[in-house]
Amino acid sequence: MTKITINGREVEADPKRPLIAACHEHAEELVPMYCYHPGLTPVGSCRICQVEVKMGEMPPRVVVACRTPVSEGMVVNTEAPGAHDARRQCLEFLLKNHPLDCPICDKAGECDLQDYSFSEGQGEGRSVEPRRKLEKRKSLGDTILLDQERCILCSRCVRFYEDVAKQPQLTVAGLGSRSVISTFADRPLHGNYQGNIADICPVGALTLKKFRFQARVWNLDKHPSTCGECSRGCSISIEVLRRREVKRVRPRYDKDKNKWWMCDHGRFAFDRFNADDRLVGGFLRGAQGLEPKSLERVFDDLAENLRRKGEHVLLVSPWLTVEEGELVRDLAQATGATTRFVSPAADTDLRDDFLHTGDPCPNRRGLTELGFEAVEAADVSTMLAGATCVVLVGESVGELVTPEALAALPRSIRLFLLDTRAYAAPALRGALGVPDASERTGTWINVDGHPGRLAIAKAAPDGVPPLERSLRAVQERLDAGAEVRA
Amino acid sequence: MSKYETYLLNRSGLADSHTLDVYRENEGYQALEKVLKGGFTPGQVIQLVKDSGLRGRGGAGFPTGLKWSFMPDPEKDKRSRYLAVNADESEPGTCKDRVLMDEDPHGLIEGILIACYAMRVGAAYIYVRGEYRHSYDRVAAAIDEARRAGLVGKDILGSGFDCEIWMHKGAGAYICGEETGLMESLEGKRGHPRPKPPFPAGFGLWGQPTTVNNVETLQNVPYVILRGADWFKSMGTEKSPGNILVGISGHVVRPGVYELPLGLSAKEILDDFAGGIWKGRQLKAWIPGGSSTGFLPASMIGVAMDHDSLKEAGSMLGTAAMMMLDETACTVRSMEVISRFYEHESCGQCSQCREGTEWLHQIFRRLEHGQGRLEDVELLSSLASGMAPGKTICALADAAAIPTHAIVKHFRDEMEAHVTHKGCPLRGGDDSTSARKQVEVNA
Repeated sequence: MTKITINGREVEADPKRPLIAACHEHAEELVPMYCYHPGLTPVGSCRICQVEVKMGEMPPRVVVACRTPVSEGMVVNTEAPGAHDARRQCLEFLLKNHPLDCPICDKAGECDLQDYSFSEGQGEGRSVEPRRKLEKRKSLGDTILLDQERCILCSRCVRFYEDVAKQPQLTVAGLGSRSVISTFADRPLHGNYQGNIADICPVGALTLKKFRFQARVWNLDKHPSTCGECSRGCSISIEVLRRREVKRVRPRYDKDKNKWWMCDHGRFAFDRFNADDRLVGGFLRGAQGLEPKSLERVFDDLAENLRRKGEHVLLVSPWLTVEEGELVRDLAQATGATTRFVSPAADTDLRDDFLHTGDPCPNRRGLTELGFEAVEAADVSTMLAGATCVVLVGESVGELVTPEALAALPRSIRLFLLDTRAYAAPALRGALGVPDASERTGTWINVDGHPGRLAIAKAAPDGVPPLERSLRAVQERLDAGAEVRA
Repeated sequence: MSKYETYLLNRSGLADSHTLDVYRENEGYQALEKVLKGGFTPGQVIQLVKDSGLRGRGGAGFPTGLKWSFMPDPEKDKRSRYLAVNADESEPGTCKDRVLMDEDPHGLIEGILIACYAMRVGAAYIYVRGEYRHSYDRVAAAIDEARRAGLVGKDILGSGFDCEIWMHKGAGAYICGEETGLMESLEGKRGHPRPKPPFPAGFGLWGQPTTVNNVETLQNVPYVILRGADWFKSMGTEKSPGNILVGISGHVVRPGVYELPLGLSAKEILDDFAGGIWKGRQLKAWIPGGSSTGFLPASMIGVAMDHDSLKEAGSMLGTAAMMMLDETACTVRSMEVISRFYEHESCGQCSQCREGTEWLHQIFRRLEHGQGRLEDVELLSSLASGMAPGKTICALADAAAIPTHAIVKHFRDEMEAHVTHKGCPLRGGDDSTSARKQVEVNA
């Protein structure tokens, strides 16, 4: 480590990282940045991160912190008047051709150009020249829209594809004031990591088509959670509008898993959190088919059926958390039931060397460690032949087994479905709504053994109890029954 | 003929001066022989160049021997090493390297070989301005000739010293004359200058130790070797010894490239060599060393043309490309053109340069075409201060800012007259109607 002084405090800085990293770690005041991103090669082109540095007896100099190596004894002042001046001037140039269409810009509220203009800018533009007219709605494929007028040419997106995704697709085309971000030969972007460039764009130049005009970002509640689309379990932030609707999912920095990034497959999977065909409340089969019943009646009936002698199977969803898995395991021990988790077919075409593992079970490791064996979704029907009572537990488990397979189950099976959706099946005896991954807490263990926490990002629909409570209620009934019999 | 001793251009008047035979008859390759066969160590060559006080002729005037000594010790650093020769000559007004390459290509080759020997470099790349097709052909032919004579390639002159020379044509970007932009371009990338540090001597071409030298600088080297440091220092000034090629253009009687000792007064160069201002007119403004050094008023024509005197005068020697404007010329109009050049040539990496060069040009254009405001003068000066010095990766922003500061300092009256006359007073004033059209068209 290298000893340097930042804003009067002596600190230890990592000599392998640029000065700006030390400033961000140790200074209270934020050194602004556009082209610098901790996950990308620094290029020092936006020039906004200027700070004052004094080496030995030499007079202090204003330098860009992202391209300055730390060296022993360096004295850094991020708040020197000269540094503020340089940053203010730099901002004036950056804003000269910026369209200032913040009122209709999706980035407004989380825009670095806005933020630093407030903290460093001079409040008033001196330009009377017409602003540059460029393409405002340039499609870069199915995911990303480019607004060339808002772009400040920081080249983060270009470097993301070069440094991180390792599949260069973007470049700065043109020279000087005619520079624009462009794909090679205007081809659409491809690959599973396009959304990241909208995250790292410091302005509103690259926006997600799916998020376009969907919400003002300051109205979004952001909840730290974990992605359930593959066994990487990327740390994410689920962003919810008015406590009801998930509008956006973004990666959340996690040094063990995904760093700053995530794949589009995970990013855009949130529509299922907004599904309006949810299974709400409890149902039991009666004279009229499935009839709404109180939760208590459903718990009673389920416990009653599990208590009977026979071949019982508890088939759980791969999205089950470790905590829920423990309760299912207890139920199985109390009833002698067989447990399996449904393993959907691998997404082999999504697997890559970067984040996506191709294994759609986010908690395979956690469930396996709990003693659950996997059953391929295609083999479920075979496995269930001869079963007396079958309980499908957890988010989307019916969908994985497939509605057709459920419908084909013989009436001799007493089928209970604890799922987010309901399916018509002659064997179905009872059904109960459960929360989805955005509505519950718990833990998934990813492919490398790192835990990922789920958080309640939005309320479950009225009448959908937490799955853990439902499982405990059934367990209590089994325990009580056992005591009575004893 | 010149009353001063010359050497750089001595061969260029001779018939077939570009051929190996004529070169050899006129001291050619004697310096190389002296180095390779006379027991000179590379360190001794560098020391001799240091002792001569030779400063780079590309514009910055950095001491050449010192630059060479920055190359890492080859015993400790086993990486490949390169010399990149800057023959891009893109600073407006400059046309000196072209004369040398056209008329004396072997002089360049000999300079390259000695430099490579001194820095223990095995390969040199000459980056030639794309428009200089004739120069390219001349140097390429000379390299072939030299290779056939055992002067380029393996075991040069039987000394065991190997050196290859390759050529590369630029594609017309000013920024590729900046040394790190040149290296990027040589590597086949966009000519985007690299942030420093790391410096080329540690991380240059393809990440290997590299030195970048100007053509004229290298052409001086054989003479320094052959005639010694004391001879070299007998010309020019104490801190800027030797001769320099002065390219003088504009409203003069005899424009051209002249070889003159450093430190002559600009007035002497104008009057005695260029024949004074043409058509019996008066000098109004002049540029000492390429468009980036900015306009000086006629009253400063007495300044000495060397690095330090011009620095003291608030300008730079640059490439010693002098441009003379007579009384009919408009400095605002000239700055409109110059600022347009820098806007066009900015690589676009740094915010201040990309946006600032455009902004400067827009303001100069408005001023010239009758849309100027009095506050624009201060604005120009303030913008130029925001762009430079040292605020960007390379010096292109400085190249646009320095002439802007210069015109505000020396020709403020003329700028303000453009505002009060609503256009260029030299073109009869009120230009606002046509200018509005032009501004609208450009917007």
